[in-house]
Amino acid sequence: MTRPGRWIGAGLVAAIAIVAIAAPLLAPQDPYASGTDMLALPSTAHRLGTDDLGRDVLSRVIYGAQASLAIGFGAALVAMLIGVPVGLVAGTLRGVIDVALAAVIDLFIALPGLVLALIITVMVAPSLRNLILVLGFVMWPPIARLVRGQALAIREMLFVEAARATGGTPLWIIRHHVWPGVLPVVAAQFATSVSFAIFTSASLSFLGLGIPPPAADWGGMVRSGYDYLAINPWMSLAPGAAVSLTVMGFYVIGRSFR
Amino acid sequence: MLRLIVRRVLLMLATAIAISALLFFTVTQLLGSPAEMMLGQDASPQAVAALNAAYGFDRPAASQYLHWLGGALSGDLGRSYTTQQSVAAAIAERIPVTLELTLWSIALAVIAAVVCNTIPVARGVLQPAVTVANLVGITVPNFMLGVSLIFVLSVKLNLLPSTGWVPWSDGIGVHLQHMIMPVLTLSAYYFGAFSIVYRAEYANVVQRPFIRVAQAKGLSDWRVAFRHAAPNAVLPVITFVGVSIGQLTGGAVVTETIFSMPGTGRLFVAAIEARDFPVMLAMGMLIVVGVVVMNLLADIGYAIANPQIRHGS
Repeated sequence: MTRPGRWIGAGLVAAIAIVAIAAPLLAPQDPYASGTDMLALPSTAHRLGTDDLGRDVLSRVIYGAQASLAIGFGAALVAMLIGVPVGLVAGTLRGVIDVALAAVIDLFIALPGLVLALIITVMVAPSLRNLILVLGFVMWPPIARLVRGQALAIREMLFVEAARATGGTPLWIIRHHVWPGVLPVVAAQFATSVSFAIFTSASLSFLGLGIPPPAADWGGMVRSGYDYLAINPWMSLAPGAAVSLTVMGFYVIGRSFR
Repeated sequence: MLRLIVRRVLLMLATAIAISALLFFTVTQLLGSPAEMMLGQDASPQAVAALNAAYGFDRPAASQYLHWLGGALSGDLGRSYTTQQSVAAAIAERIPVTLELTLWSIALAVIAAVVCNTIPVARGVLQPAVTVANLVGITVPNFMLGVSLIFVLSVKLNLLPSTGWVPWSDGIGVHLQHMIMPVLTLSAYYFGAFSIVYRAEYANVVQRPFIRVAQAKGLSDWRVAFRHAAPNAVLPVITFVGVSIGQLTGGAVVTETIFSMPGTGRLFVAAIEARDFPVMLAMGMLIVVGVVVMNLLADIGYAIANPQIRHGS
């Protein structure tokens, strides 16, 4: 999964970003307007039919891209803001700080992210902002471990030793030597983190802990459509396919840089 | 060796106790008064106070925690706020379902990952198909897989029962029929993840001289792949299984919800919906202890397999 994969991933992500930004232009109808024509099968008026409240499924899937991307990018950013400094400090300074931070990182990595997110989300009440914070908090440890590993490798290199010998402070060494070496790895990990955040937030909303209704939210749409699979399957399958393609796009980009 | 194990076990106990304390305090502090939750918003202050006293919610948090920990160590995890059932009994009743689902899924994922990625590349057409299957397994969320399976196999083709669970005692055939879709759903991600680990190791193993020797002896590609390369490449997958147990519980929560299976995952989700604190806490602890124990076993396994660690150098 290298070059061609990267282009496929970039294509998917670009398409979804365009859908999210141009949602008001692309959506044929108001995603929140309920109608009398409930659970209708696809027709020319409703390309993917309507849901149990008579809302246009296609329009809701299109608007759902906004929340998904917001959570994906937001949570990945929060995770980076915690994970990168922790990893840099642990990997560059070594010593007691490193041992302590590494133990915390290992512990968090072993805990199931989805279960942790479930427990925290129910305590802070789900909203777009809280979901971004919770998922960011759940996702920082793998990033910290990755950055720490890279920093450990870089700090052993001769030019870093030279910098230390000539009296470079740890902060200076991190800024000028370690950080530039870690940056490419962090960039690739960012894409993977976005895919994981979208995956997990969709699972949370499938379990009923997503952005509260009536928001157009893919995971929640799959859940509510699930009861009507025999009547209008698109109500569930269309948002499900949208999540899958979005997760796949970001995942493929992240993996192609490994 | 013994000293290493003793040290690991002590570290494990310390970790489990630290996490349980963290879990207990955050959950009790953030969720608010359980008495108000149980009696509703308009309960009289006297009723709330009486309930607090009865359950011991009015005592300091540290004392409540020690009381809970003491109970937990002797097998008493309290009673559910919603059903009044003993939490330990509720979990014991549901754990076989979750264990069975998880074990089938791991077995299927490991076997499928090894077989699909060992078949000699001579049959070249397979390779891209397997790559796509891995990608689908990793990126398609399991709720989407479950819903799609139900749509195709139950709604359209009417081949399998869509949801529910039937105990062994009602017939092995019916029982297994209900397990097929949940197991496929849960194992898909692990099929993809194990494949990545296995492929990387397999690519290393086939470079080694003994593979060249096996080929030079004139053995068939299939025999070299399955008898010589595969057994040497499977070890990292086994250790990865140990580390994945924690993440698997997350998948089991979603899978049990999709297929309405009476397992611990479903119990956990119901407890979260009802803010049923004793059940949430017990399930959280069960998962933490499970994860910590699996990591310990993986560490000891490493130590046993690696003489350098075993002899303490």
